[in-house]
Amino acid sequence: MIRQMILRNVMFRPVRTFITVIAVAVEVTLILMVVGLTSGMLSDTAKRIEGIGADIMVQPPSASIFMALSGAPMPMEIGRRLAQLKYVRAVAPVLLQFNSTNGLDLIYGIDPESFREVSGGFVFHEGRDLQHPDDILVDDWYAKGRKVKVGDTLHVLGHDFHVAAIVEHGKGARLFVLMSTLQELAGAHDKASVFFVKCNQPEQTEKVMSAISGLLPHYEVRPLRDYLSLMTSSNLPGLQTVIRSMISLAAAIGFLVILLSMYTTIIERTREIGVLKSLGASRAYIVRIILSETTAMCMAGIALGIAMSFGARALFLAVFPTLTILISPWWIVRAASLAILGGWLGATYPAWTASRKDPVEALAYE
Amino acid sequence: MEPILKSTRLWKIYQVGRMEVAALRGVDLEIFPGDFVSIMGPSGCGKSTLLHVIGGLARATRGKVLLDGNDLAGMGDGARTLLRRHKVGFVFQRFNLLPTLDARGNIALAQHIHGDGFDPHRFEVVTRMLGIGDRLHHRPSELSGGEQQRVALARAIINEPKIVLADEPTGNLDTKNSENVLGLLRQLNKDLGQTIVMITHNPDAAAYGNRVLHMRDGIVVDGASAN
Repeated sequence: MIRQMILRNVMFRPVRTFITVIAVAVEVTLILMVVGLTSGMLSDTAKRIEGIGADIMVQPPSASIFMALSGAPMPMEIGRRLAQLKYVRAVAPVLLQFNSTNGLDLIYGIDPESFREVSGGFVFHEGRDLQHPDDILVDDWYAKGRKVKVGDTLHVLGHDFHVAAIVEHGKGARLFVLMSTLQELAGAHDKASVFFVKCNQPEQTEKVMSAISGLLPHYEVRPLRDYLSLMTSSNLPGLQTVIRSMISLAAAIGFLVILLSMYTTIIERTREIGVLKSLGASRAYIVRIILSETTAMCMAGIALGIAMSFGARALFLAVFPTLTILISPWWIVRAASLAILGGWLGATYPAWTASRKDPVEALAYE
Repeated sequence: MEPILKSTRLWKIYQVGRMEVAALRGVDLEIFPGDFVSIMGPSGCGKSTLLHVIGGLARATRGKVLLDGNDLAGMGDGARTLLRRHKVGFVFQRFNLLPTLDARGNIALAQHIHGDGFDPHRFEVVTRMLGIGDRLHHRPSELSGGEQQRVALARAIINEPKIVLADEPTGNLDTKNSENVLGLLRQLNKDLGQTIVMITHNPDAAAYGNRVLHMRDGIVVDGASAN
């Protein structure tokens, strides 16, 4: 009976129901997209770093695991010293630079030979390796997304590069230029941002790390196998705050819309509440009706929100193929729980107000 | 015979700003099982207030109301709610059906709130007696005034209350429908022994009861047997 009444009430006011459902859907979509985008980008970055195939990553003291946030303060000489350590097979210095022309892209300045020794080399879809100062390699995702072909001119960092090859994605960045070119463009002569170290035997990684720490006290020496687990939003300064703010904003939208929607509903249905009371409906019964109606609308909003999130992801990926958006089941559950919780909180005051209405006044309501 | 409802020096005072307005000024009333009592009186004499207080919708300021042995005056909101649920059926001038539910849903809602679940036999008997068996799947907006009031009547008696309190049940009906509803009330009283207290302005309607009480200025001034 109560289910029938709730369903009829929800259907009886289609505009109110539609607006409420949309608000909850927007809340869920916002949460899933914000979290999906950040965790997707972090996961993608982590996988690409892991894909380099190095065993150890050496960074300057207090450097962030998010390498792009660090500058290029390490002299190249460090690489040469690292290469002399026992069990070290190869060391690849990399200079990182952000390009903000036509989007935001991370560019690796590499020495092709050492980078090949550490990473096993690029898989070339088309073209050849870096040879000339103006050569640039782009990965297949970037090429697909930006419709770049071998032989094209690519304007990045205020410089025209010649696309020398399209390579398989997953080697750290999506754009690669010669180390010397990037050093010149960045004004970082003889400097590197990070050294990737490949060991002769992976099981000797700990020993090599100890040796590096002895050689370079206070430098950040990290095993690459732990990198994926370290790439979380909580390790990026400020990101967690941004995510929390966005989630709070989304939850506030749901809360306020439900509050307003249910409050106006209660006012509109004052007489009905009086009738229920005259029939002997308890306060708990009335609260249950209001909260059940809220739950029904939230559930519809959640379902729509999940569908909208997957739709938005498909749309984003069609427009920006290089993006990674992770919509995990765990975050779907969390977003749904937040929406339900926000809805209940929003409906609590209207439900409480309704349950405490004086039946005589309610029945006399015009 | 013990009265099913008895009020003793019943007062109801409303606070209007700083003023106190006495709607009931010491009402003494006795309703016996099987009574059909009509209460008449001019507007503002306290008829509706009396109905609300003896039905447990409002709390008396002073005095006693015994409904089936339970003193309403001393009860809290929760206890009065329970009493309304199990012992009182209301019929209102404006029908007060829930617009979202069809006739069947409106009647079944009372059973649901009552808590004993849907009783198909009782439902069948009541709806057939009130002649609304073929209108059960219509919403209130699709029913005539007379039909709506018959649905409201069905809702009021579906749980076999000790007493039905009807507040101007024909106030929104034309003559034909009024006669129909009043006839049904009388039938319920005679055939089922349903105790009914009805408020009305209309002397013809009041005549359907077996007793007519007159109210003026918050008190019952006299009582008489009707035809």
